[in-house]
Amino acid sequence: MNEIATDAIDHHLISEFKAGSMPAMEKIVERYEDRIFTFGLKMCGHLQDAEDIAQETFLNAFKYLKDFREETKLKNWLFKIATTACIRKRRKKKCEPDHEISLESFMPQNGDESAYEIPDLSDNPSDSMMRAELKKIIDAAIQSLSHKYRLVFNLRDIEGFSTEETADILGISTQSVKTRLHRARLFLREKISNAYKEGIAQ
Amino acid sequence: MKEDCKKDFERLSEYLDGELDDVICSEMERHFCECPECRECVESMRKTIQLCREAAVEVIPADAKARLRVMLRECIDLNKG
Repeated sequence: MNEIATDAIDHHLISEFKAGSMPAMEKIVERYEDRIFTFGLKMCGHLQDAEDIAQETFLNAFKYLKDFREETKLKNWLFKIATTACIRKRRKKKCEPDHEISLESFMPQNGDESAYEIPDLSDNPSDSMMRAELKKIIDAAIQSLSHKYRLVFNLRDIEGFSTEETADILGISTQSVKTRLHRARLFLREKISNAYKEGIAQ
Repeated sequence: MKEDCKKDFERLSEYLDGELDDVICSEMERHFCECPECRECVESMRKTIQLCREAAVEVIPADAKARLRVMLRECIDLNKG
């Protein structure tokens, strides 16, 4: 018999749903909607697209939850569905193919030790204007990542999935997750640093 | 770029994610102590990840959540019928 991977609350809600309880499905939505919406927003950059992704995710969850065998956590299963929804949406929009990020272009040169200026949000916790400006810079940087890198970055660094979980959600190897994550972070560091320096200079 | 620096640069993320074994980590940390470029590189990377995480919080509009509930209830009703 397979081990149950879902947490106790999810396991209880799934059992109730399988026994015919519809309020259990609504509770599952309540537990995960913020994260799925946020993921959709980080992936697509538009609230309308994020809403479509959340709707598609929970609609499919409702359809297939009766067959879910809890071999993975419910959260991971939902993100797998959400990821498929993001990929489908991108195909429909006929977006540009992914651009590869090369490691070499980010290798620091000799004497470069002050090359990056990354601000610290906690330096000015009361400065809401600065926080809002910084958030814009960060969101724009994440949006400028190619789709395959953005998927890995959002799952790993924003949603906090492990390398193995991310590999499972995306159906790629753990090595690919590590490679894409490293390149995505290097890309973001450069983008954020450049935008921040430009902002200060103005 | 020196060979040691290049090697550490390539496995910087794995180091920050705690995915390398202790021997390699100690080796890298010794190198960071001696090399200001790599020290800056690992610190700016750590700050980038932290900053992105802190800025990730989104407020989802209540009407978007309400529409999700309506859609779900329609599906449930359809299923019952």
